[in-house]
Amino acid sequence: MTTIHPKITEVLTGTFKVPAAEILPESTMDSLEMDSLAVAEFAVIIKETLGVSADSEKLYKDATLADITAYIDEAVDSAESEATVPVSNTR
Amino acid sequence: MNRPAIAVTGLGMITPVGHTTDTTWDGVRAGVSPAATVPELHGCAVDFACTVTGIDLDDAVGGRTAFRMGRYVKFALLAAREAVADAGLDPAHWDGARVAVVVGTSSGGSAGLTEQAVALERRGPEATSPSGILLTIPSMPAAEIAIDMKATGPSLAPCTACSSGVTALSVARDMLTLGHCDIAIAGATESIVFPIAMTGFGRSGAAAPRDGDPARLCRPFAADRTGLVMGEGAAIMVLERAEDARSRGAAPRALIAGTGATTDAHHPTSPHPSGSVARAAVDAALRDAGWRAEDVDHVNAHGTSTPLNDATEAALISRAYPHRPPVTAPKGVLGHCMGAAGAVEAGLTVLTLQHGEIPPIANLDAPEPGFDIDCVTKAPRAATVRRAVSHSFGFGGQNAVIALQATS
Repeated sequence: MTTIHPKITEVLTGTFKVPAAEILPESTMDSLEMDSLAVAEFAVIIKETLGVSADSEKLYKDATLADITAYIDEAVDSAESEATVPVSNTR
Repeated sequence: MNRPAIAVTGLGMITPVGHTTDTTWDGVRAGVSPAATVPELHGCAVDFACTVTGIDLDDAVGGRTAFRMGRYVKFALLAAREAVADAGLDPAHWDGARVAVVVGTSSGGSAGLTEQAVALERRGPEATSPSGILLTIPSMPAAEIAIDMKATGPSLAPCTACSSGVTALSVARDMLTLGHCDIAIAGATESIVFPIAMTGFGRSGAAAPRDGDPARLCRPFAADRTGLVMGEGAAIMVLERAEDARSRGAAPRALIAGTGATTDAHHPTSPHPSGSVARAAVDAALRDAGWRAEDVDHVNAHGTSTPLNDATEAALISRAYPHRPPVTAPKGVLGHCMGAAGAVEAGLTVLTLQHGEIPPIANLDAPEPGFDIDCVTKAPRAATVRRAVSHSFGFGGQNAVIALQATS
């Protein structure tokens, strides 16, 4: 996985003013100086814009942007194939 | 009590006419209001205001933190950074334990609270921000400034409606006097240009109703004034004991000579018609400064452009200062910056002391007949101003007056 979900880049640069040059597939929220409050806010924005729920501490805090992209892509795909089943936020 | 002289060594401002002290001063001197229709107020009876425009606040504040700050917090932080730089101080090198932060606000993050309430109601708890509380509480400007500047001394947020700014400066002065700190970052901030607050001001009868060009509506002391026009912004000062400022080679902009505060204890929105309690705040400030009334060279009035305030205040000024010192009222240009107004106007008074120039009252040809006061109109007036006062008379009858003095 070498691409980053465009929404991740958009939120990091737009809301959190992270310089675009620092946003790499191997970056983590920690390496981007996103603290737990910022990551929790990031999770709300992802939920509100893409409908993807996540426990931000478990799934986003230490993951790379490539990991987060994979998680979001999978969640979006499964939501599309099982449109009536909401994405769980507890898995 | 033998008080040490307290110096204003730094000043920072962000207002509807400028993002800095210098640009704000130029804008206020020009005497033209930027009040205009605000798209976010679409559908409100009062759909115009003086707003801070032309700046990306998040960019200015910097990354990773702006998201957790309400607009009122961002204003305060930007003004504080300007003030500290203006004072020639560098937070990287100061003893933060000796730095206090005293930043007032009247309504805090009521705009943010409203947004969160709407998110909760419409989309449920998961749609609300984990920073929701931070976006609302009034002490966050002081807290975020402290975080940004590693100021670990006491910090707090005075809240006395429209006089919050003067209250903050007064409290900070006391903290310096009592030795609770060596440097005080003090002032106030406000941003409540959002539909609920604007509707409330409209319904309370305090706001000027729409009538032609919004920029012409705020006309303090005019016979045809109809109410206040909303503003927003922040002003922050760096205060130090004058002796400390001198010993580090700083050049103060002005001195705080005295402050006075009283409460009408009369009515939540109407000033006491006699003005006697507000007058007592003036007298207390003069007494604190050791001045006689005739020492006052200039009055920076509260001047909201509401029928009641301006009538009461004009009568107060003519009685309290019978020698008719020149009067200005910056709300004609800036609108009413609410909790920040007292700090903004104290800042402008400092600039008048420094530059020997009194800005004009916007939209005023002459004061209402019967108001025996000398209003500066049309253009800035050059004048030697050694001692000046700034009045703040808040909702709730919370009155605060600050006496400011030139340094030389």
